[in-house]
Amino acid sequence: MQGFLLGLANGTTCLTFCAPVLVPFLLEEGKNVRQNLMTVLKFLGGRLGGYMLFGLLAWATGSLLLRTTSYQGLVIGAAYVGLSALLLVAVLRKKAPAGACAFEGARATFSRWPALIPLGMGFLAGLKVCPPLLLAFTDAASTGTLIGSLFVFLMFFVGTSIYFIPLSFLGAFAHVSDLRIVGKFAAVIVALYYLFSGVLLFTGGVRL
Amino acid sequence: MMKILKAICGYTLAVLGVPLVLIGIMGPSYGLGELFISATGLTLSPWFDGGEVVQTIDHGTYQTHVHRMVFDALIGERKEGFVQVDWVPLDALPARVDEEIEADGDGQADFRVEVDTANKESTLTPYASWVLELEGTYKPEGSLMVRVRLRNPSR
Amino acid sequence: MTASTKTRTGSPPMAIWKALLLSLPMFLITALLPLQALESGELSYIVAILVMWLGFNVAFILMLTTGQTYRYRSVLFILLAVALPLWFIPMMIETHGSMMLSEEAFVSAEANFCPLATFMVIVPALVKRIVIFPSALAGGLGFATAAFMWAGSTLALGRGWCSWGCLFGGWDELFSRLRKRAVIKNIDRRWIYLPFGLLLAIVLLSAVTLSPIYCEWLCPFKIVTEFQAPTSLLAIIQIITFVVLFFALVVVLPLLTRRRIQCGLFCPFGALQSLLNKINIFEVRIDPEKCNQCKRCIRECPTFSLNEGSLESGNPLITCTKCARCIDICTKNAISFHIKGTSLQASPAVARVLYLYPGFVLLFFISSANVGAALHRIVKLITTGSMI
Repeated sequence: MQGFLLGLANGTTCLTFCAPVLVPFLLEEGKNVRQNLMTVLKFLGGRLGGYMLFGLLAWATGSLLLRTTSYQGLVIGAAYVGLSALLLVAVLRKKAPAGACAFEGARATFSRWPALIPLGMGFLAGLKVCPPLLLAFTDAASTGTLIGSLFVFLMFFVGTSIYFIPLSFLGAFAHVSDLRIVGKFAAVIVALYYLFSGVLLFTGGVRL
Repeated sequence: MMKILKAICGYTLAVLGVPLVLIGIMGPSYGLGELFISATGLTLSPWFDGGEVVQTIDHGTYQTHVHRMVFDALIGERKEGFVQVDWVPLDALPARVDEEIEADGDGQADFRVEVDTANKESTLTPYASWVLELEGTYKPEGSLMVRVRLRNPSR
Repeated sequence: MTASTKTRTGSPPMAIWKALLLSLPMFLITALLPLQALESGELSYIVAILVMWLGFNVAFILMLTTGQTYRYRSVLFILLAVALPLWFIPMMIETHGSMMLSEEAFVSAEANFCPLATFMVIVPALVKRIVIFPSALAGGLGFATAAFMWAGSTLALGRGWCSWGCLFGGWDELFSRLRKRAVIKNIDRRWIYLPFGLLLAIVLLSAVTLSPIYCEWLCPFKIVTEFQAPTSLLAIIQIITFVVLFFALVVVLPLLTRRRIQCGLFCPFGALQSLLNKINIFEVRIDPEKCNQCKRCIRECPTFSLNEGSLESGNPLITCTKCARCIDICTKNAISFHIKGTSLQASPAVARVLYLYPGFVLLFFISSANVGAALHRIVKLITTGSMI
């Protein structure tokens, strides 16, 4: 559930990064709603692939690092504190970082297979490291099982993807700026929750 | 025609405003609240009511109720939870309650708890590694209660 | 401007005989309360309820005869909020010995279910059929009572709940009306999205943690109702948080801005009601042809629900609480209540009366549990020297 929480609360940030490039791509292709939906679904499919790779990495990290230490609470707590601080910075910054959506990279890589561009774009976007992804990574690493880790990222993917479906219906794009501000506020609150959880874990679960 | 129908619907729903408010305010006084709860099957979260009683031990003048272990999450289970034990009725309890409790249904005692009935001072002796600590001792009306923090043995 | 040339604002006033005739159903509906009070046999309670019943119905008649909604609604709404602690806190002392809830109260589900907690319980109730609030499920001030009240008033009024039924909004409104001029006039409009961000985050966090996060950490109104006793450092931090939030969002900022800051820029329950405004049959509409773009309504709207786009489109934002402030201050009478589905030229007077009825009935009956009970406590104080 925490993966879904992170995805849902931070999905608008993902949308902010990707919509400005995905939407013109949809527009320049001159497609109808069904074709736009297929493009968005390919993009999301690619992202899911990227996230599953992360899920695998998170399980491996958890197995190698967390299970071998008796300071699990300390490590996860410190990760939560650091990453939530990063998330706050990321949310409050005014501009999206350059190349945040990996569009040009995907276009160049898949130029001979245009149908794969959205898929490739999605996969590369899914590999883009950002604070909510790292928080999900920490959660996934602490689950202890491969299935658990993959499930966290699956739920993270579901949470972020909800915001992308309306892109198929470009009229909904008009409300993206509203959704973006709502998402920023939600992301700040979720970040504060992780900061607080991290402090509690780091202090060894001090009985407050 | 459509315009007239829409207007009729609009005015009808507007007039229904008062009955809706009255049902909302007064309905529970006429049993609609209980009906709603039984029809929906809603229950209080086990994190608040301790979950169902799975074991009752009769000591003659008083009883021990052992609730199920609570690890409920929205989906699946959490890594940590608690088990609640009640002793009822409060006025029939001895000055000190000392009991071994079996929480996970395997027939073997998992912890021992000693409680001073008057001042709620308690001691926990874990027998299983997943029994962590005493979360709290309470005296809600008519009973004595302890909650013991547990690590989920199945995770 | 002389009295004879003064521009009339608000809805058209009504002749007294017409107002009395239209008020007759209101007399009868609200008479349910004094009739119930008579059965109690307690004189102080009967007197309190009768005073309340008369006062509210006089206010309703004045609303109709003067054509002014906001000023009378506002007074009653503030009264509702101020009355709540006057009976609730003595009641808590009677039943629990203190307005603070002990740990026993939480483990035995003795807290009172607040309607504002509704938005947090929806997801766990749908997914696991559990109520994540430590109160009784039915009876008294339990979950079902609040759920019914919320459902009925939301279907009838949408976000009108926030100006006609909310137990706490009157505090915000009180402080927003104390100063004649605002000290802080320019507020970044992006803050109106905070309640929606809070709604999203709190719904998710409450679902993940299976606990009412807003109640535990962010509700400023625990200061006038009940809160967890400071038996731990965590509880102390929570107490400090809600005290700071109350003074910041409910007292200081409304004083300085002359706006309902807590209601308009913070309350996630209000955000939920805003989303549900879409299914409500009543709305406020602006006639762009009559509007002279003076923008006074934008400056005066207590919940930031009007902007320049509203004047062009004729619709306030979904956050409109239907408090009628804009209707009553518009010098061109360009703003009015409207029933969806009816013609834009349909009589605004009819729409107004049809809206005032459920709004006022809600205000009256919720006040009955507060103003009536508070008056009873005051009468007790006068006659016996104690409110307990």
